[in-house]
Amino acid sequence: MLKVIAACGSGMGSSQIIKMKISKVFKEKNIDINMTHSSIGEAKTQAGGVDVVFCSMALTNNFEKAKESGTIIVGLKNLLSEQEIRQKIEENVIGKTKTPC
Amino acid sequence: MEFVISLWAFFQNNILTKPEFFVGFIVLLGYILLKRPFYEAFAGFIKATVGYMILNVAAGGLVGNFRPILAGLKDRFNLTASVIDPYFGQVAAQSAVNSIGRSFSMMMMVLLVAFVFNIVLVLLRKITKVRTVFITGHIMVQQSSTALWMVLFCFPHLQDPSVVVMLGLLLGTYWAVASNLTVEPTQRLTEGGGFAIGHQQMFGIWATEKIAMRMGGKHGKTGKKLEDLRLPGFLSIFNENVVSTSLLMLAFFGTIIGILGKDLMQKIDPGFSSTQNFFFYMMSKSFNFAVFVCILQLGVRMFVNELTESFQGISNRLLPGSVPAVDCASSYGFGSPQAITLGFLFGALGQFLAIIGLMVFKSPVLIITGFVPVFFDNATFAVYANKAGGIKPAIAIPFASGIIQVLGGAFAAWYFQTSQFGGWHGNFDWDTVWPVFGVLMKNFQYVGLGAVLIFLLAIPQIQYFKNKDTYFLIAEDYDAYLEKIAAKQAAS
Repeated sequence: MLKVIAACGSGMGSSQIIKMKISKVFKEKNIDINMTHSSIGEAKTQAGGVDVVFCSMALTNNFEKAKESGTIIVGLKNLLSEQEIRQKIEENVIGKTKTPC
Repeated sequence: MEFVISLWAFFQNNILTKPEFFVGFIVLLGYILLKRPFYEAFAGFIKATVGYMILNVAAGGLVGNFRPILAGLKDRFNLTASVIDPYFGQVAAQSAVNSIGRSFSMMMMVLLVAFVFNIVLVLLRKITKVRTVFITGHIMVQQSSTALWMVLFCFPHLQDPSVVVMLGLLLGTYWAVASNLTVEPTQRLTEGGGFAIGHQQMFGIWATEKIAMRMGGKHGKTGKKLEDLRLPGFLSIFNENVVSTSLLMLAFFGTIIGILGKDLMQKIDPGFSSTQNFFFYMMSKSFNFAVFVCILQLGVRMFVNELTESFQGISNRLLPGSVPAVDCASSYGFGSPQAITLGFLFGALGQFLAIIGLMVFKSPVLIITGFVPVFFDNATFAVYANKAGGIKPAIAIPFASGIIQVLGGAFAAWYFQTSQFGGWHGNFDWDTVWPVFGVLMKNFQYVGLGAVLIFLLAIPQIQYFKNKDTYFLIAEDYDAYLEKIAAKQAAS
């Protein structure tokens, strides 16, 4: 099971929207995930211990440290584009996570 | 008959007038209607109810933390104070509604009526020209709260059912019409991203794009963009909600407590023990605001989760082709990180200047910068302004907006009397268009309400008549829209 976080500024609005889209794509791929959404601050403290963090492209620089520990950081341009999420999961996530999926 | 009456009384006393259970049962009902398994519906009920109860704890904490400071300001300078922030505003509105003995459960009913009316307006889009459905749950809660207090303030004798219907229609119209205004700016910013903004500064976004285009487009080209600008690295700490809220609160409340002085605070605040150092008292008092805001957000997140998910499901199922109106932060991926930081900085600068101005001119209400409006509104404006007109409007518009937020917020907190409870909603639209709506309703009652509704409903009509051939196309198929515009230009 992959641990996934969707993060945004306050952890209220946009992270929840991407969470719904991300869950849908992983379901299509038959990959089991444990998904939460939170603010950037909270996500920062948890990022080292999860497999993937999704956030807006503008915020990826918050996760440099987690990246070193092997967490995959996915920066999204259009948070509402299922197509972009699917493409980035296919290219950057599948087969590259700490926990095998 | 007696049985029915006592049943109704039971329902009214235990559920209808207790927002936490009312919200819980709404979620339960929603899940049952969506044919989810019973254990999921039950879990949803618990999360929504507990979430609301958490919110209540935070609201009580915020008000309690604020009370000695408000008392000190009153005692020493005969001032009231308001934090301009939607979370403080929501708490102040709730306190105000409870203070006149009305039930805050109406907030939830207003929200549902407004959401349904937004959908009706989109279903009738051939006539109404509305293209967008507002689905940002936590914003809907905040706006329903503030607007509920405004309507009770303007129409104190109106019975509960009439309040719910009337405000539901008004708020639903605002959600539909204002988010519809952001379709064009957002499609241009995101190059066909397929969403609109459903947040707290929608009129502001529309105005920003218009002004930025004029400022940047003098020579037919847009001005210099922000992308190459380098900003110092320490500014990135403001990305974290807790840090920025704590710093802002420390700056403002630290100063206020410092001015009020150790002796007065010790007299007013029983929580200030004689062994505690004044500076550390100041710090713990200020950080406490951040603590309660965090708890409040946790509570809101818990019960809004359930709402947003079902709202999105409903709008997808019922309204194919409509545009979802979502959180303003969704636009940030399309702007440079510099635009976001710069918007926040210049917005803050504008706010601070305006606050000094208020003090110099002896305003009866002291305004305190809250994090949400100064960051989210102004960062959003900077992103749109940078795209439409480059660096100059991306600095000037957030700066001007900061000033407007403080002056409009001060007026609103004073006029609608929420400054007694220490807060006002504070986001751009609630410092500009909504206070005007409120003043119209207070002074002209139903005539004022009618005028507001006509004004709002006329907006999409005007938009449509200006661009009849591309009005729906820009929302549905952006590439086709671009082709059509290019073909039109080639022909002329």
